[in-house]
Amino acid sequence: MKEVSTHQKTISLKQRRAVALAATVCVIVIFWYLWRRESSRLGAPAFFTGFTLLAGLVILALLGARRRLPMLPLGKVSTWTQIHLYVGFFTTAIYIMHVPAIVAGGMFEAFLSLVFLMVTASGFYGLYASRTLPKKLTAVETQHRFDRLDWGRNQIAAMAEQTYSELTEPSAREVLQTFYQRALSPFFISRPSLAYVIVPSGTRRRKLLGDLKELDRYLESDGRRVAGKLAALVRRRDDLDYQFALQLRLRCWVVFHSILSIVLLAAALIHMLIALRFAG
Amino acid sequence: MEPTQAIPVQRPSRWDEPLDASMTDADVAWLRTRGPFNAMDQSAFPRATPLTGILRYDCRLHRVEPGEVIVREGDYGNSAFLVITGNVRVLVDSLSQTQLGRDPIRSIGWGEALKRFLKRSSYPETRTPEQVSINLGGRGQQSIRQIDDRPAIFLQDVDAVLRRHETVSLGPGELFGEVAAMYRSPRTSTVVAETEAALLEIRWQGLRILRRDRTFADTLEQHYREHWLPVHLREIPLLRYLPEENMRRVIASTELRSYGRMEWNASYKKTRKLPPAEQIESEPLVVDEGQLPTELIIVRSGFGRMCLRHGAGHLTTAYLGKGHLFGIEEIVYNALRPPSMPAVRYQNSLRAVGFLDALAIPIETFATEVLPHIRRSELPEVARSLQHRFSEKRKERRRSSSDERSEQTNPNGKPSPDVRHASGASFDSTGLLEFIVQHRLNNGRDAMVIDLHRCTRCDDCVKACGDVHDGNPRFVRQGFVHERLQFVQACMHCSDPVCMIGCPTGAIARDQGTGVISIHDSICVGCGVCEAACPYENISMAEVVDPKGRPYVDNETGKAIRKATKCDQCSGLPSGPACVSACPHDALVRIDLSESPPLTHWLEKRS
Repeated sequence: MKEVSTHQKTISLKQRRAVALAATVCVIVIFWYLWRRESSRLGAPAFFTGFTLLAGLVILALLGARRRLPMLPLGKVSTWTQIHLYVGFFTTAIYIMHVPAIVAGGMFEAFLSLVFLMVTASGFYGLYASRTLPKKLTAVETQHRFDRLDWGRNQIAAMAEQTYSELTEPSAREVLQTFYQRALSPFFISRPSLAYVIVPSGTRRRKLLGDLKELDRYLESDGRRVAGKLAALVRRRDDLDYQFALQLRLRCWVVFHSILSIVLLAAALIHMLIALRFAG
Repeated sequence: MEPTQAIPVQRPSRWDEPLDASMTDADVAWLRTRGPFNAMDQSAFPRATPLTGILRYDCRLHRVEPGEVIVREGDYGNSAFLVITGNVRVLVDSLSQTQLGRDPIRSIGWGEALKRFLKRSSYPETRTPEQVSINLGGRGQQSIRQIDDRPAIFLQDVDAVLRRHETVSLGPGELFGEVAAMYRSPRTSTVVAETEAALLEIRWQGLRILRRDRTFADTLEQHYREHWLPVHLREIPLLRYLPEENMRRVIASTELRSYGRMEWNASYKKTRKLPPAEQIESEPLVVDEGQLPTELIIVRSGFGRMCLRHGAGHLTTAYLGKGHLFGIEEIVYNALRPPSMPAVRYQNSLRAVGFLDALAIPIETFATEVLPHIRRSELPEVARSLQHRFSEKRKERRRSSSDERSEQTNPNGKPSPDVRHASGASFDSTGLLEFIVQHRLNNGRDAMVIDLHRCTRCDDCVKACGDVHDGNPRFVRQGFVHERLQFVQACMHCSDPVCMIGCPTGAIARDQGTGVISIHDSICVGCGVCEAACPYENISMAEVVDPKGRPYVDNETGKAIRKATKCDQCSGLPSGPACVSACPHDALVRIDLSESPPLTHWLEKRS
């Protein structure tokens, strides 16, 4: 059996981050110096920063290509992601050197600037989200696969229906029936609301559990047992919806960032052609 | 209150599940006329397990045809075979993978990898006709044939193979495969039928009871001590510098012990759900803590749990696997301590997790024959410090020539890695240790572990696996979770590969070079034995189609052709395991859980 590479003396992730950040800052300072020198010598600093920016965008776009070629020994995608991250910082700095204003003038240039800023902002959000959301997902008791969430939702709904049908005592049935039909059944059957998916919160869960708890005073022991089971199912369903919301957010972010990146690269190439055409 | 009513049931008995239900009294009577059973003393067997019962329920008669491969080198098995009539040949040297019908793993380059990827079919699990059956591969005669009610694999051009290779012929009354069956080790040779022969397959439970017969037991014991025990002892790093003379004395005094059930996988699902205290209580006790050490226990195969009594339960302190030692610290300390200091007792208990095969060396033999030949740097920490303290007082006496020699050859004083962890695997987190043992994950030599604090659930690992495996991923991103770690349901290429036991054609095999267990499609008959045997549910059966999506069906029954599928570590691909290289956040690793350092280092890196 091959020895796992973790046996080797490797640097920790924190050390790696510190080294990479320091290297990025050094490279930015070098390019800033070159840009200033080019400006002071009345050279073509816009071409210098423009082509650097374009090269940076091409390198950033290569991550997508690497992800689609898993069978080739091109290094780990995680290494490419790290490169993507720091080249992203670098291109942001070069962009600031390149543009006269954060949003450039002219219709096409303004569009290009906005796309760049959106890609950059989504990139920074992605960095934040990919470092914080996994911990939130892990904190939930059960780990759900995204492709099985609908199945899980249906399972919980079926279990809730079965639990409710276990009620035989007429008085308990009378108490729980209205609440089940009005609040619980729609909650179990329907998908979470758009508002919940965008900003998942515990309000819905707390309200349902609170209302269910309120009914305890009208229930005898068997009715309480069933109410307790329903409360457990409410928690499970809410956990599942929470997983759905966060996983969907991570997936939507990847799609958004990737599509905008392609638009940005195409617009940047057009911008380059226009700039070369009118450069004289 | 009504009196409790008893429910009459039939008490389960040892032979509820015979090895072969079609064995008859006539078969048993016939076997009793053949050697070695005709010479066995019936009274040596307990009344509950008579000789006739063993022959009836723990044995199966096989008819084999010339050229049939009976067992393959490297396979695992629970049975031994006794030649009743005819002859078989044991091949002394190894056959190639191709001769056994297996497709050798071929490393492919960038170009071919890219071509395969671009030209892949849109249908999952596509196979060419040659991959579906070796019989369609144009390798000459039919390699897989149905013999009675079972599929069997045949060597091609058997006469030439037997002429070219060194072989040993076995005839009526001779037994083979007993070491692999009794001690859960890979078969060391391939055995082929030379003539039409009748063989008696004896499962290990029966074989153990047959040892009640003194002559039979002595023959087995002598054979093991002469041929296999020296090999097993030499595999232990601590004994590698032992002179031949000392080794002979160690062999003579070493005892073999077995604990637990070899078919641990059958009860795994039940036992892993038991509360930890109950699970530990159910594990057979090998050594109890607090006893005075009398022998050094060496794990030969299987798994052990070192634990301490703690409150009302037990606290796991380490787990042991093949080659690990139990009691070494206490024994070495006692042997080296000055007479004024009291002897220490076993500090931990040892229990068998599933099953445990152990070699026990008495402390007297260890002290006189082994200890003087262990390098100081390879002694346990406690003994080294004791020795150091002692040597401060009597420097001249302690500087023996053997020590000087060892310091010269190992100047940095560090023990070699295999010795350093010989006392078991342990983690700082007791919870993680208990979790790994509870779920028997210490069996995994290449387990897939995900750091859930880094994993964004993007499933790029699953997609990459599907991209390089006929559009069908060989794992699902789910599995046991402990805190931030997820132990994914992907083949772990186990130390004890129970999936390899019982494959009728040897289609599931371990690569001797890499340790990877993979399935050779062309000889997989789709019986599902491996799928049922894998306790972790990491093997699944898939119906195969041709590149145009047309399903392959059996020409006799019309049933779909199925193949066992599992992770093969992307063997042959230039990228290595695609799942690892596809993870964008460094969240996934393939790791050896039979030892603790790989996981410890990986966790340290991200702490």
